[in-house]
Amino acid sequence: MSDFLDVKNLHASIEGNQILKGINLEVNAGEVHAIMGPNGSGKSTLSSVLAGREEYEVEADHVKFLGKDLLEMAPEERSREGLFLAFQYPVEIPGVSNINFLKAAINAKRAHQGLEDISAKEFMQLVKEKQALVELKQSLANRSVNEGFSGGEKKRNEIFQMAMLQPRLGILDETDSGLDIDALKIVANGVNKLKSKDNAFILITHYQRLLNYIVPDFVHVLYNGRIVKSGDKTLALELEEKGYDWIINEVEAV
Amino acid sequence: MANKLDFLKQFDELTALFPAQGSARAVIHNGMEFPTTRDEYWKYTRVQALLGASYARNLVNIDSIESFRIDHLDAHYLVFINGKYSERLSDTGSIQGVEMTAMSKAEGARKDQMLDHLDRYVDRDRHAFNALNTSYFQDGAFITVADGAQVEKPICILQISAGKLQANNARNLILVGANAKAEFVQLFAGQNNQGAFTNAVTEMSIGEGANASLYLMQDEGSESAQIHSTQVAQEKDSTSKVVTITSSGNLVRNNLNFTVNGTGCESNMYGVYFTSGKQHIDNHTYVDHLAPNCNSNELYKGVMTDRSTGVFNGKIMVHREAQQTNAFQSNQNILLSDKATINTKPELEIYADDVKCSHGCTIGQLDEEAMFYLQTRGLSKEAAGKLLVQAFAGEVTEHIDIEALRIYTEQFLQQKFEDLDA
Repeated sequence: MSDFLDVKNLHASIEGNQILKGINLEVNAGEVHAIMGPNGSGKSTLSSVLAGREEYEVEADHVKFLGKDLLEMAPEERSREGLFLAFQYPVEIPGVSNINFLKAAINAKRAHQGLEDISAKEFMQLVKEKQALVELKQSLANRSVNEGFSGGEKKRNEIFQMAMLQPRLGILDETDSGLDIDALKIVANGVNKLKSKDNAFILITHYQRLLNYIVPDFVHVLYNGRIVKSGDKTLALELEEKGYDWIINEVEAV
Repeated sequence: MANKLDFLKQFDELTALFPAQGSARAVIHNGMEFPTTRDEYWKYTRVQALLGASYARNLVNIDSIESFRIDHLDAHYLVFINGKYSERLSDTGSIQGVEMTAMSKAEGARKDQMLDHLDRYVDRDRHAFNALNTSYFQDGAFITVADGAQVEKPICILQISAGKLQANNARNLILVGANAKAEFVQLFAGQNNQGAFTNAVTEMSIGEGANASLYLMQDEGSESAQIHSTQVAQEKDSTSKVVTITSSGNLVRNNLNFTVNGTGCESNMYGVYFTSGKQHIDNHTYVDHLAPNCNSNELYKGVMTDRSTGVFNGKIMVHREAQQTNAFQSNQNILLSDKATINTKPELEIYADDVKCSHGCTIGQLDEEAMFYLQTRGLSKEAAGKLLVQAFAGEVTEHIDIEALRIYTEQFLQQKFEDLDA
């Protein structure tokens, strides 16, 4: 059992439809996990449930994050404890400045850790440094959250926010979808630079392509609400070559 | 139902100080009735309780206006307490091109000028509360800005309602000369004024090529009521802006009317209201486009929670002569509770055939996706909601050119949101 993230028998349903049907997943600090699977397998539900989206009915033997019961926590508490979700479809929030809201977010986390508010100078330094990391234009950082951003800029903004908040666990929900190859490289490069022995990442993706740039330690295949196969990075290559059907056939044969 | 004559009796002992008051009193005593919810423009706002109460007129001494001022608002003040002018608390010192006095202090040619304009703009023959005000007001601010004067500091009329059950017919007259530029703040404040009723009328005339802004800040307290009519008359090529920020009041009804007499005018109206408890806040606006080539812009935003009610009615009238009018109007609302209500009605009446007019209203909730997004970044529900309300109101607050008022408004919105869960 991992003392970093331990998901045991996680079920989730929405409006009576069972989406997750018993997920077991262990992630240790320093690891990168890729979760792949065909459309409708429950990938995005898994990320939403871990981040605390309220629409789902959730049951599990337990979901422990850094020794605490994750499911007991409100979304903001999960964030302050070090969980970060990069959205597949980042929300546009007109009128809320990207920078002001990030400052509020950082200070909320610092308050949770018993620290004082970040100084204006320290904050601006951090912004400058992390902007460079994801090659986000300064004008975008100062604009309203995601408003009028292109698809690629939105995804970069997600990674920028992740870099600013320095989470222990980053969950990237199809961050690669809709990205051209240059943007994909920038996003991947950002994640690679953030990687350390103290944090971990879960990459939820449909395609193997991202995994050329962020090399996973483990690859899991999610199908029909369960992880039906796990392996190392070669599994992703195999999926790329053969598609999902052979796994689906394997599962359905049992 | 309250008896009109009984209600008026409590004011009848007041001396008629201005020539218009005799005829106004005749009008209100004979035939004119106060509106009920059967009147189209008062359908959602009940005034019967106001007309059934017995009011007092206290002489209250206030040592300092410090606690009533808006933080960091650097302005010239004219101060009235329960309608009575306080010379001691006012700062009418020499301002280039501006004369500001109490009406009661106007003398000679200045008095003639005042009497010439007083009661000229507002319609008191068809509106009972305007007639009530005109009949009984005892004093008010009289401000003139000379032709071409560029006034740097805002001029603030501070009207304090102090003590229980005060009734005050507050009256103001503002004349802005040709090509002048000035900003005015009308700040209504309260002190221990449970049951107080302020019935205010403000007349503002804006000369050719002039630019005038009026910020109406209503904060008389949670157990007070206010009915306020503002009449703006604009001459050729003038620009006006009226911003209404209602931060407290149990019952508030604003009538904001523009008469656009000349060509090339621009008229702007903005408003923010955030109601809670059983508050009832009603904004009626009316723009009378009488001349061609004019623009009017209007944006009112409201947040309603608990069992509170908001009312918005915006009417744009484009007369046959007013070709090439551009008139835009929008009212947007957020309801934070199931029991809160908004009644909103945009109205256009157009008799010209070459105009561009639009109107619209929206009613919605805080965006749940945005809430969740902000929460996943570590913001509490409350902090996220505050940010979203601030952002919602931002399209109005960005039009507040006086920084101290903008900050005040943002803080009032934040405070109101904080108090929701308390």
